[in-house]
Amino acid sequence: MLSGEERERFERLMLPHLDAAYGLARWMTKNDELANDAVQEAFLRAFRFFGSLRGEDGRPWLLRIVRNACLELMQREQFAAAEAFDEERHDGAAAGAVVVLPVNPEAAAIERAERQLVRDCVAELPCDFREVIVLRELHGCSYREIADIVGVPIGTVMSRLARARRLLQGRISQRVRRDGTGT
Amino acid sequence: MNCEEAGRLLHAYADSELELQSALAVEQHLQVCARCRASFAGVTALRAALARACEPERAPPQLRARIVRELRGRGAPAPAAERRRAWLLAAPGIAALALVAGLLLAQPWRSDPVHRVVLHIATADNTAANLRTLKNLLDATPGLHAVVVAHNAGIEFLLRGARDENGRPYEEIVRDFRERGVEFRVCGNTLTRRRIDTTAVIPEAVLVPSGIAELARLQGREGYVYLRL
Repeated sequence: MLSGEERERFERLMLPHLDAAYGLARWMTKNDELANDAVQEAFLRAFRFFGSLRGEDGRPWLLRIVRNACLELMQREQFAAAEAFDEERHDGAAAGAVVVLPVNPEAAAIERAERQLVRDCVAELPCDFREVIVLRELHGCSYREIADIVGVPIGTVMSRLARARRLLQGRISQRVRRDGTGT
Repeated sequence: MNCEEAGRLLHAYADSELELQSALAVEQHLQVCARCRASFAGVTALRAALARACEPERAPPQLRARIVRELRGRGAPAPAAERRRAWLLAAPGIAALALVAGLLLAQPWRSDPVHRVVLHIATADNTAANLRTLKNLLDATPGLHAVVVAHNAGIEFLLRGARDENGRPYEEIVRDFRERGVEFRVCGNTLTRRRIDTTAVIPEAVLVPSGIAELARLQGREGYVYLRL
């Protein structure tokens, strides 16, 4: 049982990370209702295990709990099934895109990309890739932090991030080209 | 350093995650290799596009308020969402009845009792039990108006040809409910995502653009009580 003093300490240290927690949950679940539930659950869980946080930075610690809460909720809500379905579909399309991706990624095409198009492409990434992109690019996490949050070695973070970016580059430039010729 | 090595370290270099010596080696290679320079420009452009497109999200104030309330409400609480779900899953029928009864009693400021309930079905696991719950709910609450909003795997019983474990077409069961005034609404986004044609949905059910938006609308605008099955 935590005392009132510890609760205050928890609020002071953890509530500033609420926006980051919510952002991560939104990108992971792609569902507002689930994101809200996951964040609330994660905060209450973090509160219960607050004693286990010793001298570490609180933000990656909290984000790890948020991530796990998201995965559990997604699984429970069978979003996982829908996701697997989507990944199959997108990977089918992406496989071709990756193979034909030119050695020189089209920086110019990516610079022209509309914001919504970029967001759509991030949302369509398989969950493993999406989470490293979101943690690195939106939350500015270091490789070490991402490794802790996701629970994989740093080398895996590096290769996964590289692969996620190549997937994104391929998809974005492909869409920009397609949309460009369509109008 | 050759292109292969540089390519392997390029992302870590872009992220300032390399130790000084490796970073310098990549830098030197980039000065002499136009191809790797172009790759690097691609990574930089992508990072800039992401920063431009994905603004930091802000948590809704209600979420913050709810968390603070939960934290202050008790010493070390059990996770709320888990508790709520476990409870509803454990005994859906009883839980739903108790919840509606509780809401009827717990809102003395309302002149009219809660007569509108929206049931949210998101999975295909317990369809038979869910429909039993619905029947119990109707039996126990005269004058109740119930709307079922189905999305994700929850839509399956509303597709043509779907049958319960006894082989009875769900369409018949749904028709019985329709006669009692229950409305069934199917999430259009789910159909699109699963590439299901709208003609596959039984005619007793109505299509709505987004199941989640419909749930929000019924609760927020029309005062429906929300029950998750």
